[in-house]
Amino acid sequence: MGSGMQLATLFQQIINGLSLGSVYALIAVGYSLVYSILSFSNFAHGGFLVVGGYICYGMLAGFDLVLGGQHIIGLQPFPSAAASFPSTSVPVSLDFIVWGQHLFSIPSSIWIGGICALIGAGLIAILTERLAYKPIRERTSTTLYLLIASMGVSIVIENIFVIVVGGRFRALPSGTFDDIFDIFERISRFCGTIESTGGNASAHLINLGAGVTVSMFDILSLIVAVLFLGGLQLFLTRTRWGLAIRAAACDLNTAGLMGVNVARLISIVFFVAGLLAAIGGIFLSFRYTLYPQLGGTITTKAFVAAVIGGLGSLPGAVVGSLILGLAEMLTAGFISSQMRDLVVFSMLVIMLLIKPAGFFGRQISDKI
Amino acid sequence: MMKKSLLGNAAFAVVGLTLALWPLSGYEEGIVVLLCINCIAAMGVSLLTGFTGIFTLGHAAYMALGAYTAAIMTVRYGVHYLPAIVAGGIIAVLVAWLIGVPTLRLTGDYYAIASIGLGEAIRLILENWQSFTRGARGFPGIDSYTTRWTAVLFFTVLGAGMFNLIGSRLGRELKASRDDRIAASLMGFNTTASRMKALLISAFYCGISGALLGGYMNFIQPSMFDMMKSTELTAVVVFGGLGSMSGTLIGSAIITSVMEYFRDISQYRMLIYGALLVSIMVLRPEGVLGNREIWSFLPRFGRRD
Amino acid sequence: MSDLLQKDASKEPVSKEVTTENTRVLLELDDISMFFGGVQAVRDMSFTIREGELAGIIGPNGAGKTTIFNMISSVYNPSSGSIWFREQDITLLRAYQVNRLGIARTFQNLRLFGRLSALDNVMTATQNRYRYSFRENLRGHLSPCYRPDPKFHYSFLESLLHLGRWSKTEQQIRTLSMELLDRVGLASRAHQPAGTLPYGMQRRLEIARALALDPKLLLLDEPAAGMNPEEVFALNDLITGIHCEFKLTTLVIEHHMDVIMEICPHIVCMNFGAKIAEGSPEEIQNDSEVLSAYLGDEEAIG
Repeated sequence: MGSGMQLATLFQQIINGLSLGSVYALIAVGYSLVYSILSFSNFAHGGFLVVGGYICYGMLAGFDLVLGGQHIIGLQPFPSAAASFPSTSVPVSLDFIVWGQHLFSIPSSIWIGGICALIGAGLIAILTERLAYKPIRERTSTTLYLLIASMGVSIVIENIFVIVVGGRFRALPSGTFDDIFDIFERISRFCGTIESTGGNASAHLINLGAGVTVSMFDILSLIVAVLFLGGLQLFLTRTRWGLAIRAAACDLNTAGLMGVNVARLISIVFFVAGLLAAIGGIFLSFRYTLYPQLGGTITTKAFVAAVIGGLGSLPGAVVGSLILGLAEMLTAGFISSQMRDLVVFSMLVIMLLIKPAGFFGRQISDKI
Repeated sequence: MMKKSLLGNAAFAVVGLTLALWPLSGYEEGIVVLLCINCIAAMGVSLLTGFTGIFTLGHAAYMALGAYTAAIMTVRYGVHYLPAIVAGGIIAVLVAWLIGVPTLRLTGDYYAIASIGLGEAIRLILENWQSFTRGARGFPGIDSYTTRWTAVLFFTVLGAGMFNLIGSRLGRELKASRDDRIAASLMGFNTTASRMKALLISAFYCGISGALLGGYMNFIQPSMFDMMKSTELTAVVVFGGLGSMSGTLIGSAIITSVMEYFRDISQYRMLIYGALLVSIMVLRPEGVLGNREIWSFLPRFGRRD
Repeated sequence: MSDLLQKDASKEPVSKEVTTENTRVLLELDDISMFFGGVQAVRDMSFTIREGELAGIIGPNGAGKTTIFNMISSVYNPSSGSIWFREQDITLLRAYQVNRLGIARTFQNLRLFGRLSALDNVMTATQNRYRYSFRENLRGHLSPCYRPDPKFHYSFLESLLHLGRWSKTEQQIRTLSMELLDRVGLASRAHQPAGTLPYGMQRRLEIARALALDPKLLLLDEPAAGMNPEEVFALNDLITGIHCEFKLTTLVIEHHMDVIMEICPHIVCMNFGAKIAEGSPEEIQNDSEVLSAYLGDEEAIG
């Protein structure tokens, strides 16, 4: 292997790492946002991600929701072979059939699936907060109880999916993002600087020259992450609720005393967290596969990223995620794919030992 | 005070003898063994989380270390199972010490996070160290050395020891550093050393428990000791009541029985377990007994000495 | 500024006359300073406490009084300067080591072991008594070192098995702790969780807990904070009582001048992290520097 080849791999893995890191960032930021307000680690955060992933999968691929032998909702774009998808584009419509009655059809696309996933996950997040966390918050200020409850919620969400849709691995249809990739291709053709090798269903690649190719998916996840994180930043700095959230991150009680509707504020925070997690969920289930336990694995990663950046700090969560994504991809590229998780956890421990408050965290000191 | 201690130890002996001698069916015997194994690990975690205030999410790793040590010693080197089980506990203690020296400086959430990282790291090492542990596929062919007698013996001895410990200076020392670490250090306690003591003892209990689990299942696998298992250990302790050792035993017994009861509908088992965790936290976050021991509810022992 | 320092220096001998000069120096602060980031909380602070004294530190809020205590008890290490206790340099020792050498303290914002009973709080301290003896170190100097007081200690094995000294020692710890609780008037509340006691009682419990360590030097950090005049009166009695009864060197911090004026013959007054006066209550009361620190600038008042 020549040094040029090495360099190409390095470059490639850096781009992969940034793309993966940006997806982690979406998840870690939501997690950190909740932490900054309620100062507990919401282990159910991964559950929101899985909810988003499955809603999107359901909208695109179709699954039968059968409860108690009764067909509740049938989403059946491919009645015969639900596992195979035409490679080019996603099918035309979703038929909503409830109790045998055909209600309506909507065209199925990543746009619709995505939006439903985001809203659905956001609502589940609010629901979780209302049912599980709110009663605890009202009773005690010990965050440990919230933490354990959140583990319970994550187990519940995970196993609801195991029971309802089964534990097997599912992949989003390969044509999921074709609509968007088309736009990319048009742009790259228009610019002419980047040679696209698109058209192949399995790999939409952009050739950057010197043996370096970037998949359009990586570019897409990077762009989407930047857009949403930018949007979040605007929301937090330019809106009244954003200001309230930043105030609550300093001191929730005081914010409440200043007339902020705390219950609504927390709902908004959870909605935003769920929404961001859902985007992460969609991208992760396209990059890897979707399975009920995905949430647990990824939450731990987002958790690590948030700690590296500094718990409760949003810029910290982004930086930590990027570092984590890069570390994972570089390990996979140069050492071994199996060592990825080991490297991740070692990084976590080392970081905690050197600088427990992370890069951007507040050092909390005890007043005596 | 002497009388109370004697009574407590006698009670433990009676419970032990009952568990060991009461005629049971094979299935029930299995449950007793599992109960003993779970209780031993839970007591260890209870000392650390409930009594010292160190919240851990990685103690399944110490169970894994105990299990693999005992399994490798008995299967590869033909060591008798009793020393092998104790060795499992000791290896867990050694690793806990190595881990504890740097990490026990961390407090609150940070230690919990570090424990996740370390627990997962230990599991991943066991998974990747193919030549020694046979990797992710698991380690089969362990003798079924965890008979009812062995399990009950270890449970009784370790249980009585644990109650004695918390009823002596160490118990107060740990609780002091739990309630206010700075005040404790200004009462002359080396709180880092106190925390270390709690970690080492809890690792020993978890190591023994893991070693017994290996002998009961005849097969161990790194994925048996993942974060889920660690969570379960901590959840049992919280359910029983933080700072109550008898609560821990009750909590462990309840959760083990509930899980066993729903074994037939294994699909829903985890769902019920998760829902149980949430509902406990919502309905009774202080746990079954709060931070009191069970005898403090008895009228005679409540307020006196 | 230099004027101020000179004034202090000129006062030094006066203050020594006030204190009991024939006894040994127990605690000596030598030019200590403390920075938090860029903020200087304590500036070039020096004073000595002699054995058997009941001394007080006063100063307005934020003058750096508690920081002094935190440095003496090694919660922080000073940025510069040194602290000597019983002729040993304790500047860089850890908190528990300083405590074992015989310095006990209470806290401005109470730090009891909230979930433990009042009795357990005191027992926790009683079981931790250390004895200090002087030992010759490598350089031939005598330095104090601590070892567990055998009357209140037993081994791990004895804890595990509840055999041997366990029973007798536990009984001793309990009896002594009950006596101390009784001394501060909390015997009837012995089994109540400390966190649920009324505020004034928690303060007294802290004092009992500190006494249980059998210290050579007791540091009381704002013991009267949040008390009503009646409670303050009882507290003054308690402090002077303890001082006489246990022959205990005591250093009290207060920002209420009247408390200290009443009980302490030796007073150090601080403002903005520096010592502005030291001496007897009369001297302090008539010091213009002290008056302006407490009452504001005289001109502004008119």
